[in-house]
Amino acid sequence: MEPPEHDTTSPLRLRTGGGETDTARQTPAKAKAPRSWRGRDYGLVILAAPAVILLVIFSYGPMAGLVVAFQDFNVADGVFGSPWAGFKNFEFFFTSGNAGRIMWNTLFLNVLFLAATLGAGVVLALMLNEIRGRVTKRFFQSVIFVPYFVSPIVVSIFLQAFLAGPGGRGGLVNDFLGMFALPELSWYTEPGPWPWILTVVKVWQLGGYMSVIFLAAITSIPEEVYEAGVIDGASRAQMAFRITVPLLKPTAAILLVLGVGRIFYGDFGTIYAIVGDNGTLFATTDVIDTYVFRALRTFGDFGTTAAIGLFQSVVGFVLVVIATLVQRRYARETSIL
Amino acid sequence: MAQLIDAAGLSLPISRRGFLAGTGGLLAAATLAACAPGSGGQSAGTSYGLLLPGDVPAQWDRVRAAVNAKLKADLGFEFKPEFINWTNYGSQSLLKFTAQENFQTALSARWLNIAQLIESGALQPLDDALASGKYTNLTATVDQSAFDANRWPDGSVYGVPAVNSAARIHHLIARGDLADKHAPGGIETFDQLEKFWYDVVQKEGLPGYVNRNSPFDVLGAPTGALYAQGWETPDLLPLYFSSDSLLFVPAKDAATTGSADAVPFWEHEPYLESLHRVRKYYEDGIINADRLNADPATLKALFDGGGAATCWGISDGGDTSSHLDLLEKAVPGAGLVSLLPFRDGLSAKPNQTFQADNLVVVNAGAANADAAMQLLDWVSIKENHDLLQYGEEGTDWKAVGDDAYEPIGDYANFPGFALSWRIPLERTYSRMTESEATWFDWSKKYENFTLDPFASFIPDLAAIETEHAQITAAVTEFGNPLFAGAVPVEEGLDKLKKAVDQAGLAKVQEELNKQADAYLSSK
Repeated sequence: MEPPEHDTTSPLRLRTGGGETDTARQTPAKAKAPRSWRGRDYGLVILAAPAVILLVIFSYGPMAGLVVAFQDFNVADGVFGSPWAGFKNFEFFFTSGNAGRIMWNTLFLNVLFLAATLGAGVVLALMLNEIRGRVTKRFFQSVIFVPYFVSPIVVSIFLQAFLAGPGGRGGLVNDFLGMFALPELSWYTEPGPWPWILTVVKVWQLGGYMSVIFLAAITSIPEEVYEAGVIDGASRAQMAFRITVPLLKPTAAILLVLGVGRIFYGDFGTIYAIVGDNGTLFATTDVIDTYVFRALRTFGDFGTTAAIGLFQSVVGFVLVVIATLVQRRYARETSIL
Repeated sequence: MAQLIDAAGLSLPISRRGFLAGTGGLLAAATLAACAPGSGGQSAGTSYGLLLPGDVPAQWDRVRAAVNAKLKADLGFEFKPEFINWTNYGSQSLLKFTAQENFQTALSARWLNIAQLIESGALQPLDDALASGKYTNLTATVDQSAFDANRWPDGSVYGVPAVNSAARIHHLIARGDLADKHAPGGIETFDQLEKFWYDVVQKEGLPGYVNRNSPFDVLGAPTGALYAQGWETPDLLPLYFSSDSLLFVPAKDAATTGSADAVPFWEHEPYLESLHRVRKYYEDGIINADRLNADPATLKALFDGGGAATCWGISDGGDTSSHLDLLEKAVPGAGLVSLLPFRDGLSAKPNQTFQADNLVVVNAGAANADAAMQLLDWVSIKENHDLLQYGEEGTDWKAVGDDAYEPIGDYANFPGFALSWRIPLERTYSRMTESEATWFDWSKKYENFTLDPFASFIPDLAAIETEHAQITAAVTEFGNPLFAGAVPVEEGLDKLKKAVDQAGLAKVQEELNKQADAYLSSK
């Protein structure tokens, strides 16, 4: 289906034109004359100040604490009084024999989560978009959004009820397997299925949230595009996959880059609440965040945990840069930078 | 329309710049307000903070006000405890020491972070204060032997033992009604206990024993609910750098030869046998299968709801008060019995270090360390102790005789083990079962225990910090499933051995033996 030229380009042209019109409204003299500081809008500065202050205090200020990663941290001497230890704190993680597995788990799980939640978000948004009744649409939208607000602790309790009943035996899934004379599985001692179980949990948690973002993007697609599709005789499915999905690419790209930036961060809340200290599942579920938390809780060693955290941040930053560069190289029109 | 509203005086003309400045100003003010010290901060001068683990007790505000009124009248200051959830207590308390927050006392112990705090100089040594003669109520209610048993290797005392018995013995709490039904002759040996478990599983469809995962359940120290040998000869206390890491078994004749010759736990035959036994219990449904995951509160609720035959207990006088009322509500006619199936019954003399499970430590950075000691002395007076521990008499509790209490209000669960537990001052729950009363009285007497050859041995892990950390991680991953019975023993042990070998077992074992031998020779 080739949409008519005037239908596809006109909305963009209109938006661009509007922007030009806004700029054109400024008088040439005003636009060219360099404005003195005195002439600037102090209101804007004051408006931005709280956010900037909070950012500096809570995001940049604590970065000073990264020095702990290079210190033999002493509780009484504190962050700036403890002796230097070079790269000794990095030894724990990188010589433990677990580093490779933990980094792999972190990446693998996050890629699964990212792909599954983005995919589920798009599909759910498309489905919601097809619902005609306004009330029905709102109802289903709310229903699938609710899991986003459910605490990971509650999720872990649900999961225990599904996979292991009281005392760790039975559970709804095993009861279901039993109906077909299939053997029960000891889910909490079998690491194999857990990446997929956790992915299902993430989709349940975030599918609705993602769908709302995509639904918002869908509502901003000009009606004329769909009208053109109708004129060309496109079916609902064709319009969904040939018009809606391509026009969701910028939104998906932003979510993807944001997700890639956090790809080295395990979903601590969910994973730790569900897996906890269950060593039998570490083979497939132990991620950097859970490892760091366990190390801190067990050893109380701030230096070691800060070292792992620093490594995590640096790799995360590098990945964001790479993702952005790749995006600019291959999909410049949807790049956020 | 806007003109009409303006004309009616319902709208004020605000310029864009004015709007931005006003909104920005409000946000800035809100930010500054958020950054200002809140009400959670310590009020100046007369109120001192302290760290306590657990949840805020019901009716706490009322009882705290009563305590503070008396405290202010007696000592001229008030206290302001901060309760920290158990799950985060270790790391949170450490952070507060690190941030040099101004609190007076905290709970610490070897199983928490006392070694790190002492090494960092974050704790106030208490020897001078205790010897000063100023805190006579404290020294009168805490036995000198308890202080001596908790002396650090540098010779100093860094904490007040908050205990209510000479030794805490791990044991079992059983449903008395089920015991009467399936073991009418009583349960006095581990074999009888095991038969009881199997009978309950087969005839009642209930698990025999529920608990969260713990190496001490399986390997004993010296007793453990699932460790048969510990009830026969309770004479082995494993050595370790930290209790969540690898446990080592010293030679039986270490005290006479002067050589600890400690080996990893799997080289001790009774421990290996115990691992196999627990694996069998797991497969036979005797123990809960979710030991690795289950929340302690969930397991307690399972037992209190009548969903298991026995659960874990420790001889601190809390068996009955923790479970009986709830159990009776869930299962009318149910009863409780404390089980310590020693082969030698009350004549057993288990080995003990007498090291306290809980120590009240004084923050070296406290604004007023004297006030901390004054508070510890003040709660050592019976009247004050009762007020804090049990609440207001007549409202929260009433005395039953001289040494028991009956709760009549909601105030409960004050963590006295983190501040005020003193053996001579503790009242027992008025409904305490006969079996618990018997064993609790027994556990209060130091002469009922044998002083372990390594009683005050506290190894220093400075030389093997990295290896120890890696071994601990390996134990969490491969050891805990073994202790839970969740994996076949041979397969699990192979993985554990491989992991700890790679983590530096040889170096850690050598260091432990070196320090243990030095300790023995110093004696």
